[in-house]
Amino acid sequence: MLIELKKFGTTLISRQAGLEAFKAFQPAFKGIKPNENLEIDFSGVLTFSPSWGDEFLGPLFEQLGDKLVLLPSDNMSVQATLKILQEINKRSFVIREQ
Amino acid sequence: MEEQLLTISQASKILGVSIDTLRRWDSSGKLVAIRKQGGVHRFYRENDLEIFSSDNVKLAHNWAKEGSEFPSAFYCSNSAVFQVRLSRLELLLMEQPGFEKLFSVIIAITGEIGNNSFDHNLGKWPDVPGIFFGYDINKKQIVLADRGLGILETLRQVRPTLKNHTEAVKVAFTEILSGRSPEKRGNGLKFVREVTTTQPIDLFFESGDAEVRIKSPGREFRLTRGQEMFRGCSAIIQF
Repeated sequence: MLIELKKFGTTLISRQAGLEAFKAFQPAFKGIKPNENLEIDFSGVLTFSPSWGDEFLGPLFEQLGDKLVLLPSDNMSVQATLKILQEINKRSFVIREQ
Repeated sequence: MEEQLLTISQASKILGVSIDTLRRWDSSGKLVAIRKQGGVHRFYRENDLEIFSSDNVKLAHNWAKEGSEFPSAFYCSNSAVFQVRLSRLELLLMEQPGFEKLFSVIIAITGEIGNNSFDHNLGKWPDVPGIFFGYDINKKQIVLADRGLGILETLRQVRPTLKNHTEAVKVAFTEILSGRSPEKRGNGLKFVREVTTTQPIDLFFESGDAEVRIKSPGREFRLTRGQEMFRGCSAIIQF
């Protein structure tokens, strides 16, 4: 399953908005098959912050572990946010190579 | 051609403050009005209003410290207003030559600092809720301030042993807070430090009497105890 984050907005910065996006995604998330990867596509996102990322990616990461696969992005805020989220969680995300 | 002067009522609409406030500012010398020869009515030059409004640092500081009024265009009463204004800045910044990539981290750190104010003070604002959010693209400067609880009082809820403002601000900027209670938060300022120590973005941050400076050439994190004390948080981002 692929999630295009831009469908939740292009400026993804607050905890409230991240939590709302996570809740909105729940019905689709229930449809994911047991061994299926969940891929996150950052293309089209202008700004991505740790607050939003923590609320959205945090619980997905806890539930899916390595089945949560992030697609590479050259956006500086995406890269900086993923770095800090990995430090907070003391775990590395699976980021698909280009 | 004679310069057209604005009436006090027009100036009040432009700045978003009351006529009484303008009268007070005139008496105190904060924003002096012009009086036509022999007249009693107050008039203003448009340029004077622009200069007055452009000193974001002074306006934010005076509000955060003393509660002075400021032009309403800079006030974000809640995070939704902040989000809209931040998106506007994002569009403006991404069109600036040289900021095509860097804009995203500038917006991300501004978002983290501004939203920190709302997340930490929701339902607890000591007096005026909301934040000051001003920017000047020509000066390449963003100014944020709040009249909230400040870092020390906020962090004491999860770290009751914190002794003073500098210790609290150090924790906020440098330590990963893994404890998620009583609310989810606590790592935004580490992100701000990470970005400003690695990118050409300067930061001056204050809370209580603690002051943080991150600037070129070294871009190291410098924490000092300042002379002034103020309750909330304020930040100047220079890029």
